Amino acid sequence: MPGRDVIMKTRLHRLLAGLVALVIAAVVWLPCLHFVFLRPVNDFRQEAGISPKARALAAEQLKLWTDPALQKVEVEKMRNSNPEWDFMGRSFLVWSLANMSLRDPASKALNLPAMDRIIDETLRIEKEKGICFFLMSYGKPEQYVVQPARSLFVDGEIALMLAARRMVEEKPEYKRLLTERVDLMADALRKSPHLILESYPDECWTFDHCVALDAMKLADQLDGTDHSALIRDWVAMARVKLVDPRSGLLIASFTTTGAPLSGPQGSTLWMSAHCLQLLDDDFARDQYARAKKELGTVTLGFGYAHEWPASCPGPANVDSGPIVPGFDISAGSSGMAFIGAAAFGDTKFLQSLAATLDFAGFPAHSGGRLKYCASNQVGDAALLYAATLGPLWQKVKLGGHHG
Amino acid sequence: MGKFFGHRPPVSPRPEFLSVKSLLQCAGGISLLFIVAHLAGLRAFTCILNGTVGSVALGWQISQLLALAYIFIYLLFVLLVPVLVLAAMILTLWQKGRRK
Repeated sequence: MPGRDVIMKTRLHRLLAGLVALVIAAVVWLPCLHFVFLRPVNDFRQEAGISPKARALAAEQLKLWTDPALQKVEVEKMRNSNPEWDFMGRSFLVWSLANMSLRDPASKALNLPAMDRIIDETLRIEKEKGICFFLMSYGKPEQYVVQPARSLFVDGEIALMLAARRMVEEKPEYKRLLTERVDLMADALRKSPHLILESYPDECWTFDHCVALDAMKLADQLDGTDHSALIRDWVAMARVKLVDPRSGLLIASFTTTGAPLSGPQGSTLWMSAHCLQLLDDDFARDQYARAKKELGTVTLGFGYAHEWPASCPGPANVDSGPIVPGFDISAGSSGMAFIGAAAFGDTKFLQSLAATLDFAGFPAHSGGRLKYCASNQVGDAALLYAATLGPLWQKVKLGGHHG
Repeated sequence: MGKFFGHRPPVSPRPEFLSVKSLLQCAGGISLLFIVAHLAGLRAFTCILNGTVGSVALGWQISQLLALAYIFIYLLFVLLVPVLVLAAMILTLWQKGRRK
């Protein structure tokens, strides 16, 4: 049967040739894939002015706030998973609009009314429905250690929204609201034996403390108060009590006595490092460098971030989002890594993160607006913040007062 | 009637596995599938990647299923289709080289 052997051999050769061609093609294509999605970093974020992506993201966000039906759908989807996202989506958007207004004063006419609308509606909801409306279901007021119950998560972000708005342009109605909230937080911190306040019952977060202290820093600039001693004491406490000894990174959450509840978590750490820039720049830089080393990764040109450092592993949770197995990619940490990379001028990492966003974020463009389908309103607002942050912190650091 | 039923319609022979034709057919099929999934609006369901339900009305399970289907087809389109086309080009060049 020599004829049959020849046919078999020929088939085998063809199969082998096909397989070899596939392997060669894969070896050529996979390292090149990121070039399809790689854009100049200016496309996402510019040193001065507003980048095209920031404009398009902001346009989509503002559309949500002018179309109640659309907003309802988006908010309902987020609240279904986590009511915090409804709240944080507001905060990130207001902080972004403040930075955009400082970058491009002509945009104030559009941004300030939007900021006021978001702040006023948030305050109204807080007043009508209480702090629990923006908290997950276990945030029961009667279970807080310190009574009457207050959440530093809610107080800190609202205070920073009010302060950011006033840094762009003074609004007398917000002066009293900011002072009241800052006084509440500062007094409670001073009374706390460990300089720690709750966001949830006996659950405290580094992220929320950093945001709250930033709000105090802005209030100092706006109203001539002085919280520098309190800020110094808190940072000193954090360096001693809230740093994970294995990684040197700030832990994410802890009890009212400072006992760790979770280790360092990417979904909060990148923002904490950015917020520390106003409180202690050296500490902030150190945290970013460590976070980048422990959590940041670039594979085949695509940047992403893990939720937990290898030395301190943990499970996927509502903050991390689902974790992609194999690569250990956390959507939450990767999204927030944009803020870290932008805040610390890590252009190369930012560019690789942006390539991943365009590859796996499923962008949807429509009429000059942009949203990422793999994200949600709060995710897109955080990306917008990463694309625009800078001028607000710069103004505080330079000591420039609002006009 | 024999005109209609007397002969079987000519059937094009199935291309051999891993031949240039089969690779290109596979690439074409995946591309078509991706276009259909995209036009059907399945991209909107990919928000499950951050833990958000794609549609409150459809619920978690159906949203997840649609999202996973879209992501799978998208990855095939972005990762596999170029590899298949490149492999077809490499095979064509190799076969031409052998003929010479």
